[in-house]
Amino acid sequence: MLSRIADSLFWIARYMERAEDMARILEVNYHMLLDPSTQTVRLRWGPLVAISGEQERFSAHYEQPDARNVFEFLAFHQDNPDSIVRCVQMVRENARTIRDRISREMWEDVNSLYHAVMAFKPEEEMAVGPHRFCNAIKFGSHRFHGVADDTLPHDEGWHFLQAGRALERASMTARIVDVEYHQLLERALEAADNHQWMAVLKSVAAYEIYRREYHSRIEPEKVAELLILHPQHPRSIRFNIAALQQALRAISGTRSGSYANEAERLTGKLHETLMYDRIQDIFSRGLHPFLTEMQNTCRSIGEQIARTYFYYAVVA
Amino acid sequence: MAAQSRPDSLFRGYDLGDYFDEMFAASGEPRPHYRKLFLELAGMATAQFDERRQLADFSFLLHGITFTVYSDGRGTERLFPFDLVPRILPRSEWNHIERGLTQRVLALNSFLQDIYGPQRILKDRRMPRSLVYSCRHFRREMIGVSVPNGIYTHVAGIDLVRDSATGEFLVLEDNVRTPSGVSYVVENRAVMTRTFPRAFQLHEVLPVEHYPMELCQVLRSIAPRGGDNPVIVLLTPGIFNSAYFEHTFLAQQMGVELVEGRDLIVDGDVVYMKTIHGLTRVDVIYRRIDDEYLDSLTFRSDSLLGVPGLMGAYRAGNVALANAVGNGVADDKAIYAYVPEFIRYYLGEEPVLRNVETWLCSKPDHLAYVLEHLDQLVVKEVGESGGYGMLMGPMSSRATIEQFRDRLVADPRNYIAQPVIRLSRCPSYDPAAGGMAGRHIDLRPYCLFNGEKVVLVPGGLTRVALKPGSLVVNSSQGGGSKDTWVLRGEA
Repeated sequence: MLSRIADSLFWIARYMERAEDMARILEVNYHMLLDPSTQTVRLRWGPLVAISGEQERFSAHYEQPDARNVFEFLAFHQDNPDSIVRCVQMVRENARTIRDRISREMWEDVNSLYHAVMAFKPEEEMAVGPHRFCNAIKFGSHRFHGVADDTLPHDEGWHFLQAGRALERASMTARIVDVEYHQLLERALEAADNHQWMAVLKSVAAYEIYRREYHSRIEPEKVAELLILHPQHPRSIRFNIAALQQALRAISGTRSGSYANEAERLTGKLHETLMYDRIQDIFSRGLHPFLTEMQNTCRSIGEQIARTYFYYAVVA
Repeated sequence: MAAQSRPDSLFRGYDLGDYFDEMFAASGEPRPHYRKLFLELAGMATAQFDERRQLADFSFLLHGITFTVYSDGRGTERLFPFDLVPRILPRSEWNHIERGLTQRVLALNSFLQDIYGPQRILKDRRMPRSLVYSCRHFRREMIGVSVPNGIYTHVAGIDLVRDSATGEFLVLEDNVRTPSGVSYVVENRAVMTRTFPRAFQLHEVLPVEHYPMELCQVLRSIAPRGGDNPVIVLLTPGIFNSAYFEHTFLAQQMGVELVEGRDLIVDGDVVYMKTIHGLTRVDVIYRRIDDEYLDSLTFRSDSLLGVPGLMGAYRAGNVALANAVGNGVADDKAIYAYVPEFIRYYLGEEPVLRNVETWLCSKPDHLAYVLEHLDQLVVKEVGESGGYGMLMGPMSSRATIEQFRDRLVADPRNYIAQPVIRLSRCPSYDPAAGGMAGRHIDLRPYCLFNGEKVVLVPGGLTRVALKPGSLVVNSSQGGGSKDTWVLRGEA
């Protein structure tokens, strides 16, 4: 497989995941505002911008974050490289450069998602709220992976898709937990916080799982445990690091117990931590440093994957 | 013709004009090979037809079958307009075309072998040496290079027009560098069978879907190392090229890797592609990059599209290129005038398909004639294609004509002139009028040459000038295309 194609597949999956995650975060937080019990609470839109990591760009365009401008910025803004619309554009651009290597169904699916997204009019959507738009993105992303799973051979290319999605999702979940925790622990526990934790859980499709697993009211420590360490929840960090490890091994043909490159070594080491650390261990060392470290490691893994598979030293 | 007068007919008020109409004879009766389709269309209400048309357009959009135009400075993706009324050719007419093109491709290939080899045709004084050596696309670097199996013109797209004056097919120009458009032949058919399934039950239309397989066969046959599994790649300039869709289409259909220059590397006169598991040797490159950009060490040093060192590997015989480098000398529009002579000289045959009468501005007497009749002629730059660098005398303003006159006088070798051919017309849907109108068309069949025989996929790309009255069919100038049907029999 050509390095350039592997590179594109990896990034298609990352951008698609980024679009989906932003859509989930946006939708859930937005709808929390509509819940009558939280009406007295001043909504804190700042964290959403923080999760996107684009505070500077945001301040260049708006003054105070509010429901409307955060929606516009995260969903539609062309100047925000991680806005949902930009992510979908990048998915399609990448798909277009390798359309000979993806299945015809995949290309049609990506293309129709792109045209559907471009047909949304920001003004109209901001008037009706993000549900319709975000739902289209969420299901667009699910459909993308469904179509890929069912029409692409599960070869190296497919594993690069899996790797891209897992890495993006792991670092996104780390960022969500980090930002929300920071924000919520700063304040005394109020009734509203329970709602905000619910929103966090819903944004990563973990609310129902939480209820089933813990049967308790929402406790921040348990939320963190679920989102960081749960072995089966498909959006937990551990689950995704395991998926990443599996994909990387499938690509290099490495058996478990060893590693073929730096990306695999870092992933394996991280996975061990997530398997054997308990949530109390993490809290006692400090959640924020742990999650910061986690995000840095994810970044390094991305760089090492690129160095191993995508870039070539120029032969003189 | 009753259907033309019915008030809701697609053909109401259809005007044959003073042209050869592909569907209707001069009497107004449909020609035998169009009779069934005419009845089918005549029985259809405008709204019904319009619905099919939107279905077809949506299908093209969904599949991302687009090309890019740069005239607006931004590079916009556009649908290549598709007209639902097919162009139909009876078998006998196609057989005639096939004979003519086979002969022409063989002659062009022989000319290239000769001109980069012994140059017999120049020594025998059958054409002026200066014409060859002054051609911008003549590549001295290719003299004495032996190309695999002696094939230069692996793929040729030869443009034909039907002259309304005689009803005869004429060759308008040869394209033996990197002709494009064949993907539309296959895609138009796919969309057509989905949109008008019934019409295909009524006719026996010869299939076209096997083109990529035929092309792949040719590419396999030129692999320098032989073997069962040569590594073939399609080299594209990238996503910003207007034919990018076609590159992806052909690569996918042939099951070969689509590469850009940056995916390849030359080491020790061998070409490799960069894969996730290291370097893989490449045997055959179907390149869709012009000669000038192929190799920055040999040609344009500012090119980032090609592969430095590629020409070295090619000359060393370690990699095969299709089409060969230097083919532009054969499709130069001044050299074109000599192709009938090539057919006589190399094959000892009379041309089956005639050329359009051509004045070479490099000849003083021709130039004098052209300058005197600029307002009646089409003037073309010899090295251009795609409808660029052209003067349509009868449709141009005084000022434009005078500008062209200066350019002609300054560089006569760079221009040829031809009479304005009154291209035949074919009924095409005019959305503004909500009915059929005659629009001018041409035909570009695609010819594959494997060193022994020339293989044609029945039909080719019919391009249509959708603007009323326009004679320019190029997509960059508002042209569209039609599905082209070659019938198994006569009707």
